[in-house]
Amino acid sequence: MKARMQMSSSVVKQEFFKKWIKGMQIYSAFNKEMTIMERKRAIKLSADVAIASTRSATTQWSRAVVADVSTSAAGAARAAAEEILGRKLPERKALATTCSKKIVRRSHQRRSKAAARGVVRSSAAIAKKLVRNRTRVLKRLVPGGKKLDEISLIKETLDYIACLQVQVDVMRHLAAAAESLDHQQISF
Amino acid sequence: MDKDYLMNAGIPPPQPLQFETSMPMPWSSDQSFLNPNSSMDHQFSHFDSSWTSMVSTTTTTADGFALRQLIWKLGGAGASDRPSPLPLLDQINLASLAPPALPSLAADPGFTERAAKFSCFGSRSFNGRTSSQHLQPRSATPGQSMVALPRVASSPSLKLNGSPPPRNRNSGMEMQPERKFGKLPSSGANSNEESSVSEQMPSGETGSKAFNEMNSRKRKSASRGKNKDDRSNSAKEADDDENVKRSKQTEICENEQECNKADENKTNQKPPEPPKDYIHVRARRGQATDSHSLAERVRREKISERMKLLQDLVPGCNKVTGKALMLDEIINYVQSLQRQVEFLSMKLASVNPDLDFNMENLLSKDMYQQSTSLPQQMYPLDSSSPAYYHHHQNVQQQQLPGTNISSVDPLPLDASLGIQMPSVDGFVQNLPQFSAFTEDDLHSIVQMGLIQNSVQNQSSNMKVEL
Repeated sequence: MKARMQMSSSVVKQEFFKKWIKGMQIYSAFNKEMTIMERKRAIKLSADVAIASTRSATTQWSRAVVADVSTSAAGAARAAAEEILGRKLPERKALATTCSKKIVRRSHQRRSKAAARGVVRSSAAIAKKLVRNRTRVLKRLVPGGKKLDEISLIKETLDYIACLQVQVDVMRHLAAAAESLDHQQISF
Repeated sequence: MDKDYLMNAGIPPPQPLQFETSMPMPWSSDQSFLNPNSSMDHQFSHFDSSWTSMVSTTTTTADGFALRQLIWKLGGAGASDRPSPLPLLDQINLASLAPPALPSLAADPGFTERAAKFSCFGSRSFNGRTSSQHLQPRSATPGQSMVALPRVASSPSLKLNGSPPPRNRNSGMEMQPERKFGKLPSSGANSNEESSVSEQMPSGETGSKAFNEMNSRKRKSASRGKNKDDRSNSAKEADDDENVKRSKQTEICENEQECNKADENKTNQKPPEPPKDYIHVRARRGQATDSHSLAERVRREKISERMKLLQDLVPGCNKVTGKALMLDEIINYVQSLQRQVEFLSMKLASVNPDLDFNMENLLSKDMYQQSTSLPQQMYPLDSSSPAYYHHHQNVQQQQLPGTNISSVDPLPLDASLGIQMPSVDGFVQNLPQFSAFTEDDLHSIVQMGLIQNSVQNQSSNMKVEL
């Protein structure tokens, strides 16, 4: 993991940028006229798939991103993703996960009952509870983190943060350049 | 709670005992302060206590300083970057008596070996080794100093793993000198102390109880081998089970004195226990020794190691210690990064009528070629928009061979940047760390086709350093 992180970030940035532009070109090839929201979605999706592909499915979160795209994307999105990844995405139907409300409600009631009963037990217990809650939040944030155990969750988070940083970095530069160009065009 | 233990020692204090009760007060308060922080802190305080006790017992000589450093480094390897170990050590070392009769363990080559191994094993207890080593010299010393030493040493050790019953310790202690490495030296020290105490105070049931009280502490792991023993570690597991049982018994009896917490630190306080009950592998200080807890210990260490890596990645995490707070920072950071991605993609969408970024680059090149040279100015942009400056610098420094080199006017770009600045100030300020990317990265990115025009080196104009 550390070796991965020490990989040259500029290489990653270049790779990401190329893939990203490629994806966006596919999008624009599909339909010239897009609303701003569609464009935003196209940009974001291309960026996500591009940054996930830089990891080439070695990390859980990148696989989860690709799987998410393959299940939910359609048309242009799928084509762009496939182009970025260089492979065909398997057709997947989004699984409808039904949650029995009764069970969930009962479990919540049980938990709240126990919580109401219990006084402040000890600092350690409180700390553990905090950590558990936050781990749950983190699992929600990191793509594909739900099925990870704590250790690999932290590992994935590390990688995910590094890649997010790359993504944001490149996007910012592109946005800055695009904006400056835009202004220059306007000024001229 | 540890304070309570110390206070409730209930031992008729001889001189050293009084010293002990007075000395660890600041330390124990420090510990109790640290405890509520997080479970991780909790665990690490165990480390601290064990290490400090170990250090206090062993660093009474001149060599102790080097040893203390070594131990602290070892502690640093195991525990996350917490400032506590060192101050604790300092306190204890300063406060600890220097029993003249105490042999210099630092001089013991085996000790450094064990110390080295300790770093490998993490928090394995040094019980076996150190206790055997300590035993002979300790026993040689006269009573008071011997008693004093263990008091001093054990007082900081909040999580002393079950101080073995003083009396029976001797028999156990004097058994095989070689114990499998893997016990915390502190527990070894404790055992030594206790054994010495037992030697010195055969009636010191209260003393042992005090030890137990100090040692007992709520522990995650269920079982704790408490009794120090010279058993080989091969029989460790069995010993641990026995220890657990015995410790539970002792816990029950200790609970009356408000010593024990539910968990691990169990010390056998029943004086009449036959010596054979005390033949156990020395439990690690503050840690259970059964397979479950060992696995959990490994797991915790893995987690702490990764958290340390995360600390480097997430800005502003160095000051934060403890799992919960660090997780908080990590969550905030990930959320902010994700929000930035959203924001930036929206921005890019608004800037471009179509997703044709390459066209922009080509256009810009033409535009640059056509632009007239304007007086170059330096815009003192504040550090909140480092991206622009870096970008600008790279743009200016890039020189593509074969392309027309047109004088790029920094003015329009600066103007645009100046205009753009306020809009992204708030956004950029959230990421102070982004200013740290290298110029090479930007250079390569820009080279990729963002702006194809080659720019004469205008770095002289861009004097703002970020």
